[in-house]
Formats: sequence, C-alpha cells, structure tokens
Amino acid sequence: MSFLEVRNLTVAYGAIQAVRGVTFSVEKGQIVSLIGSNGAGKTTTLRTISGLLRPVSGEILLDGKPIHKLPAHEILGLGVSHSPEGRRLFARMTVEENLRLGAYSRNDEAGIVEDLDRIYAMFPVLGERRRNKAGLFSGGEQQMLAIGRALMSQPKLLMLDEPSMGLSPIMTQQIFDTVRDLRAQGTTVLLVEQNALSALALSDRGYVIDLGRTTLSGTGRELLADPRVQEAYLGEGVAG
Amino acid sequence: MLSTLLSQIVNGLVTGALIGLIALGYTMVYGIIQLINFAHGEIFMVGSYGGLAMFTYLMPTAIQNQWYFALPLLLIAGAAVSVAVAVLMERFAYRPLRNAPRLAPLITALGVSVALQEAVRVFYPGATAALPFPKAFVEGTWEIPVPGGTVPLRWTGLLIIVTALVLTFALNTFVNNSRMGRAMRATSQDRDVARLMGIDPDRVIVLTFVLGAALAGVAGVLNGVDLGFTNIDLGFQNGIFAFTAAVLGGIGSIKGAVAGGFAIGLVKALGGQYLPGGTAYDYVWIFVVLIAVLVFRPQGFFGETERVRA
Amino acid sequence: MTAIEKDPVVEPAAVEAPRGRLAGLAPYATALRAAGGLLTVVGAYLPWATFVLNDGPYPEKATLEFFTAPLGVSGFRLHLLVFGIAAIVLAFVPAVPARGRILRALGWGVVAVSVVNGMYITTQGGGFGAITAADGAVAFGAIVALIGGAVLLVGAFAGGLEGHARWGRPLGRFVEWALLLVIYALLLLLVAAVLTSGGQGSVANPYSGAVFLSFLGALGGLLAALHSAGVVTWVTGMSERHRAYSAIVLLAVALLLPLTAAGTQYWMTVAANIGVYAATAIGLNIVVGLAGLLDLGYVAFLGIGAVVAANFSGATAARFDIVLPFPLVMVISAVVAGIFGAIVGSPTLRVRGDYLAIVTLAFGEIFVRSSQNNIGGLTGGSNAIPGIPPVTAFGQPFNESLTIGSVELPAGALYYFLIVVIVAAVMAVFGNLKNSRLGRAWIAIREDEDAARAMGIRTGPVKILAFMIGATLAGLAGAFFAHKTGTVSYESFRFLESVTLLAAVILGGMGTIPGAVLGASILFVLPEKLREFADYRLLIFGIALVLIMRFRPQGLVPDAHRRAELAPQSEPPPPDGSTGPAAAKVAAS
Repeated sequence: MSFLEVRNLTVAYGAIQAVRGVTFSVEKGQIVSLIGSNGAGKTTTLRTISGLLRPVSGEILLDGKPIHKLPAHEILGLGVSHSPEGRRLFARMTVEENLRLGAYSRNDEAGIVEDLDRIYAMFPVLGERRRNKAGLFSGGEQQMLAIGRALMSQPKLLMLDEPSMGLSPIMTQQIFDTVRDLRAQGTTVLLVEQNALSALALSDRGYVIDLGRTTLSGTGRELLADPRVQEAYLGEGVAG
Repeated sequence: MLSTLLSQIVNGLVTGALIGLIALGYTMVYGIIQLINFAHGEIFMVGSYGGLAMFTYLMPTAIQNQWYFALPLLLIAGAAVSVAVAVLMERFAYRPLRNAPRLAPLITALGVSVALQEAVRVFYPGATAALPFPKAFVEGTWEIPVPGGTVPLRWTGLLIIVTALVLTFALNTFVNNSRMGRAMRATSQDRDVARLMGIDPDRVIVLTFVLGAALAGVAGVLNGVDLGFTNIDLGFQNGIFAFTAAVLGGIGSIKGAVAGGFAIGLVKALGGQYLPGGTAYDYVWIFVVLIAVLVFRPQGFFGETERVRA
Repeated sequence: MTAIEKDPVVEPAAVEAPRGRLAGLAPYATALRAAGGLLTVVGAYLPWATFVLNDGPYPEKATLEFFTAPLGVSGFRLHLLVFGIAAIVLAFVPAVPARGRILRALGWGVVAVSVVNGMYITTQGGGFGAITAADGAVAFGAIVALIGGAVLLVGAFAGGLEGHARWGRPLGRFVEWALLLVIYALLLLLVAAVLTSGGQGSVANPYSGAVFLSFLGALGGLLAALHSAGVVTWVTGMSERHRAYSAIVLLAVALLLPLTAAGTQYWMTVAANIGVYAATAIGLNIVVGLAGLLDLGYVAFLGIGAVVAANFSGATAARFDIVLPFPLVMVISAVVAGIFGAIVGSPTLRVRGDYLAIVTLAFGEIFVRSSQNNIGGLTGGSNAIPGIPPVTAFGQPFNESLTIGSVELPAGALYYFLIVVIVAAVMAVFGNLKNSRLGRAWIAIREDEDAARAMGIRTGPVKILAFMIGATLAGLAGAFFAHKTGTVSYESFRFLESVTLLAAVILGGMGTIPGAVLGASILFVLPEKLREFADYRLLIFGIALVLIMRFRPQGLVPDAHRRAELAPQSEPPPPDGSTGPAAAKVAAS
C-alpha cells in the first residue's frame, strides 16, 4: 500500500473538466513529480488532494484511508501540507506571522518555536528579517518562506506547486537542493513542475499529465530518457 | 462661543464612540467576506432589547437600582442576545450564499434587516413604540470648566467613550497578537490559503460575527442607558452611520472604524450646530460625507494603501 | 477532441434520474402517484374543520360532503378534487410527455393548498384540534390532502423527471391569432379571478388572506403543470411570432378589466396602485436588471416626480401658483426626475458594486430627510401636500364613475385606464431599449464592465443614461401617483419602499418585463389581501427576501438570455418548471 494513492480522479469547474482520470501513487520518503504542460491539470490535482476542491469521481487514499471527502483543514491535520502555485504568502503579515500560520494546526508552543528556529537556520535570510512584511521580499525569498510555512505543520507529505516559477536558475537550484535535503530528513515530497528536467532529475518517480490524464509514468531517469517526454517537455529544459 | 463649540465636540465624541463600536462589526465582516452586513445595525438594536429584557424580566428588583450590579448584567445580556442572533443569521442566511454572486448576500442582508426589526416590533411586548430603558449608571453631568462657561459631559457619555476605547484596544490586541486573530487576518487576505494552513474559514467567519455582534450588543445597551429609551428604528439609522464610519476609516481597519466613528459624530454634532438647516439636517450632512468619501476616497483615510474594490 | 469529451457533462440527461434515496422507489412510482391522487380526492371530500368559523364562508362546510353533495364541492376543495383526479389519470396514461414534471407541479399545488388552509384553520380554531378531532367532530381533510400531496411528490420524483415537453409547430397565422385572442381573454378572467379571490381583506372578511393564498397555490401548481406540459412555451412562442398583434390585444384586454368581476372602485384603485409600482419597477429594472447597477434609493425618483406634479397641481400647499395641464406636468416631472437621475448616477463613473448601492441609498435618504424638513417649501414637510385635485379631461374628473351608453365604469376606472397606458408605454420603452445598441451596452457592462470598456463602449455615459432613463420613468409614474392619491408625503418614499421595489424586480426576475410586473403585483396585492396579517407583513416580507435569495435567486420569470448573475454558479441551469412551487412557497410563507 502506497502512502498516497490517487485513483481515477475527475475534477470539474462547473461544466469544464480540468482533470479527467489522473492516477498515481507516492511512496513514503520519495520525491514524486507531476509534469506536464500548462493547463494539463497538475495544479487542480494538488488542490483536490489538499481538499480545496471536491472531485467529481475517483479516490484519494492517504495511508489507505480515503480523504477526498474531508475538508481542507482536516486533511492538513492528517499530515498533508500544500504550498500553492504562485506562493500566495500573506503579504501584509510578517515572516514570523506567516510561519506561525503554517503552524496554526499545532498547539505545542515549545515545538513551534523550535521549528521556527529550524526554518530560520535553513533559510538564514528569513531569520534576519523575521519582522518584515512578507510582501517586501524577492521571489526566491518568498519561495523559501512559502516552503518554510508549509513545513511548519510538520507534514508527512509536502506538496509543492511550481516552486521554481519566476526564479533565477541559481535560486531554482537552491530550492531544489532544499527539496532534496527535505527528503533526506524523511519528508515525502509531491512536486508539480513545468521545469521538467530539473524536477525529473531530482525525483524518484515521475508522472506525465496531459489534458487531465496521466499518460506516462516511470522513475525520474526512465522518463528523462523517454523520447516522448524529451520531445514534449524537455526541449526547452535541455536548451536552457 | 467656545463653550458651545466644545460642547458640540463633546456631543460628537459621545455619538462617535457609539458609532465606532458598531462600525467595528461592519469593518470586520466586510474585511473577511466582503459583505455589507446591512443587518448589523439591527444586531445593535436587538442588543438593547436583550438588555431591556434582562432588566424587565430576569433581574431581581433588589439590584435594579444598584447600577454596579445592574449594568454588567445588562451588558452581558445585550451582548449575548446580539451574538445569538448574529450566529443564527450567519448560519442560515449568509453561509448558504458563500459562493453566490455579490448581489445575493447584499439583498439577503436587507431582508434580514427588515425581518429582525419587525420580529422585535411584533414579538417584544410594547416594542411598537419607544420603550423606557433603565438608566443603569451614574446620572447627571460633569461640568467641565472652560473659559467663558462650562462644557457638560454626561457621565453616561463618558462611559460610552471609555468603553469604546477600551474595547477597541482589546479587539486590536486580539486581532494582531492572538492565534485566532492571525487566522482572521489570514482568512481575510486569502481564504483558500488560509484553508491550506488548517484554518476552518467557517469558524473564523462565525468568530468575526460573534465579536462584531458582542460589541454591537454592548453599544446597544450603552445607548439605551444614555438615552433612557430604546426603539426599533435606532438600528437602521445608526447602522448606516456606522457603515459610513467604517468606510471613512478604511474598511477592514479596526482603528479606522473607531476614528471614522468619531469623525461622523463630529460631523453630526458640528453640522447640526453650524451648518444651514440646523439639527434637522444633521443626518443629511452625514450622507453627504458618505457619498463624498465613497466617490473620492473609497479606500478611506486610515485603511491599507492598497486599492479596496472601487 | 476536447469538445467531444466535454459534451456528456454539459448536456443534461433526457430523464433526470430519481434522486438518491428515492431511487429505490422507482418500481412503485405509478402506485405512489395514483395513491397520492386518490388521497387528495379523499381529502377534498373529507371535512376540514371541526367547527364552523364565524358562520363565515370558510370553510364552506365542516362535514363530509361526498354523500350529500358529490358534485357540490367548491373553492379550495374543488381545486384539490381537480388536481387529485388529474393526478390519478396521469398516473395511468403513459403517453403524456413530461408526465413526471406535471405530477410534481400538481403535487406542489396540493401541498400548498392543504398547508395554507390547514394552517389557517389551525390558527383560527385554536390548535390542532381544529383539523383533527375535537368536540366529537372529526376533520382530517387537511392532513389527508397534505399526505396525498406529499405522496404525489414522492411518486413524481421516484418515477424520474423528464425534460419539458415541447410541441406545436406553427399553425396558420389566423388560427394563431384566434387562439391568442382566446388565451388572452382567459388571462383577463384569470387576473380578475386572482384579484377578487377571497374578496377585500378587512375585519369583516378575515378569510380573504387564506382564500387568496390557497387560490394562488392552486394557480401556481396549475401554471407549473401547464409549463411542464409545454403549453406556456407554446403560447409564448406564438405571442413572440405575433408581437404587434399580441401587444395590441393585450392592451385591449387590460383595458377591459373594469368590465369583469374586478370592476369595482376598490379593485380599480388597487389595480391602479399596482400599475404605479409596476411602471416604477420596470424603470428600476433598467438600472438593476439590464445595467446591473444596484440602486437602493430608487423610490426617491418616484417621489421627485410626485413632488413636482403636486407643486404644479393648484393644491393649496403647492409652492407655485401655476396650474399646468396634466400631460405637461407628466413631462416636467419625468424630466426633473431624469435630471436627478443623472446626478445620482454620476458617481457610477468612479464607484462600483456594493459601494454604488450605498451611494444610491445615501441619495435616497437625503431626499427623504430633505422632504421631511420641507426643503425649499416644496414638499410640505411632515404636513405633506394634501388636496391635489384629480386629473380631469373633458370636464370628467378621473376619480368618479362614468357612464357611457349602457356601460357604467366604476370610480377609479379612468385612472386605471391611464395607468395601463403609462405601463404599456414604459414596457414599450423597456422592450425597445433592451434590444437596442444601448441595451446591449448595458448588458455588456452588467456582465463585465472592464471587458465592455475594452470593446469600446463608453461605459460612463452609458451607465448614467441607465440611471437617467430609469429615473424618468419613475418620475412619470410619480406624477400620476400624486394626482391619483391626492396627497404627496415623504412617508411614501422611504427606504423600505425602495427595498420593496427592488424585491419586486428580483422576485419577478431581473431583466424581464413580465417579471417586474408580476413581482410588483405580488408584493402590492398580498398586503391588500392579508389585512389580518398586517402586523406580520414586513416580517414575512423580510424572511421571504432571504428565502428567495436562497432558493430562487433568478426570480419567477428568469431572463432566458441572461447569464444569471444571481443564479447558482456551479449547477446546471435550473428547470423553469419550478415556477409553481416557488410561487406556492412565497404564498405559503
């Protein structure tokens, strides 16, 4: 039994089906990537797993238990944390307030303070400017804060949506290094990326989503070598 | 005349403090669900009847004349009734429309407002006319000496000002420093991400209604104590003034709501004294201010610098 | 490829599958339907009350009627009998299209009728003894009929709901003309029957409210059933094909109302009042329904029109000593109101959405306050402007009765004629505007103002024009209102009136003419009928507003072309056939 299993997921916005049959699974301690072009349904899939959207049909199982009918805050309580596309920080709040909101579901003040320090150690720039408003930070710093915020709930599964979006190559590398470190520390990561090359290079497993369906799957290496993937998604990535 | 001017300023501050207390409810609810809760004025009105009911039907006669026992009980009863009504209103009128287009909740709010006012008129004994309200506080005035005369300040007026400032301070502290307060701010900034933080927006929204209603209930009782009567039509009028105050102060801003309240109070008192038409037109000036603010500075004077929906 | 895959989701299934728990009952659908109908028939014949109310006409007999007068049932029991028999017949005739929907409509009708009457008897008779058993008398009619209605509904749902029936290809022109003539004549009789049903509410006639509501419930059920059967669509289709003919015949038919049962002074006055509010509501519908600008102070324009008219009427309290002829006064009132409309509308250049609603509310309040204080000596303040003389033409005052040959018109009929003409004119204005360039600009602004601007629509002037035209129409109605009521007081133009007008537009359906007229009629007839509930009128009104927004935000007659701004977003378009239940719900609440 996999840690997270998504079976035949269908999600619709009104009459428009954004996801129409996505199936994949995530094993504990792995980094798994969902790749695909813009509008393929990756973000919708993540939003459905975290409970922001309700599926029309299909199942989402966490540790074998269905979670697709639970509200978002209960899913977070089960250890699934979602850092949304575009970072979506609380721009008018300080770094520390953002992080504390990440820990909203927890009540152990001592543990929260410990984790704050851990995040500040991981991203020193956040620690230095913990009283500054989040809206004033650069894109890369905001992404660090978004990841830090998602980690504050002590997730078993961390879902990152387009963490490299709008970042410089150096910054992107730094973010991916962080993801690798998180796996080393035992966090399972579900990654959604358009930057397929970097994502697959990092991943234990990858799934290609096209027009709302999972079309290919394999280990990161297999997918990188697959001509279909190369043709469709890596053209840019290789060139860049 | 200096003493006349100062007296009007004092009057304005008392009115303003009361309006500010009501405005807090408008500003918080608008900040979180972008709803102009028309019925909030009626929550204020219902609170005064809650206090009155406690005094008339529940309070032992022995303590009715001892204001230091009576007043806290009145305030608690008023706030409790307001909160109960507001929670029911949120649950059954507004929550089902959470994802509806914007016009729907606004019209619902109008309906709730009419229904609440009428419910009190029909079901509260004697509410078809103004009812006497217990003057459960020190009566009389404090004559503040100024050059050329004195400025009267009713002790009840002072009570209103002090209460408004204390409660605003408490509310501000709560919203800025507590865990739930952070959740409220997060929900108002981005409801979806707040859900990703594990916040249940429904709970936060209810809390917002509860806080606003408690303040309005307190204001309702204080207004009754100050005026010596209460009436079912007090809610609508004061509600509109409070909304004006909330917009003036920058909707969503707690300090702004109270500052806006004071500004409105002063416009009413000074406009009634010095502008043509006298007190008969003091309401008109408030509405003129309201229109001017909405047209020329919809983000208010104390609000966030970002653009509020124009 | 994408499009093909989308289709199954978008297209509604031909037969709506039985819902959830009712699915298991599908095999028993026919039996349930027949049983529901049978119970309804039985309920119609059973006694309804254990006592006779005040020797009044209601309920007509407290005893079992089947043996004494099998064909003699009347009133609401006749309605139930007809519905019940219809349901039994339908249950066994499989060929009828949209059978499930028709049965559902009948079921709601039965429920509405039995609830209204049952509740009325219970409150009048002092408790449930009145509709069960008390003092040795038994009367289970209400309960049996209610169960019948409920069983009928369950049966209707269990068997599944089909789409609306569509039928009738175009017939020859003259056949259709003749048919339309008959249908409009029936409509006239129906309107007269609705107006007069239950009679005039008063202390002497406490039954009017219940009889009226019950009638409304039955009518709602009937109309919904006809709609499901495709009759309504067929008739609208015909009238669309013959617009000019329909307009003329409808106008003529409306002018005949004084010759029906409603031709008394009282009903003429009520009808004229409805006309005033209908005309005003149509004006408001331009602002709210077409341009999507929420106006919460709209009644002020009616007030401005009335004040202007009053001051040129020669009333002793008038500010000016000039008496102008009524047609001229109407024009002046409309123009002045239009100018104020432009002023009130000018903030739309900068303010949108609910903030705009508040601006209009503030303008409305300024009008009320100012006229309460007799601003400029123009409004009479708290004394109002009384003694406005009636309109006269050819020496005939409009408020008196008139005999032409052998036909005697009741007092007030002339005013009624006048308002019918005004409403017709306002409808014509609305209809033409809606389909004009300007109307399309308004609708574009309503749907997405920024996009409209990007398409090159000059949104500012277009929005102000909406306010101006709406206000002009209200001013026109205001001039009429002043002369008809004879008094103009600020009391008539308070905030609550604006809310009521808005509610009329919304209840009827935003952006449609029949909607505004229907909404105004319902909201202004109900208080006339429900005098004994006068105390609860506004309470019910407020609650009804909340319920409408919750359950039928698009109104009773939704605009077909409208991307319903108020309709639920995530659901498929709601079935139009629920007009009946919605009407019944409003009536019953």
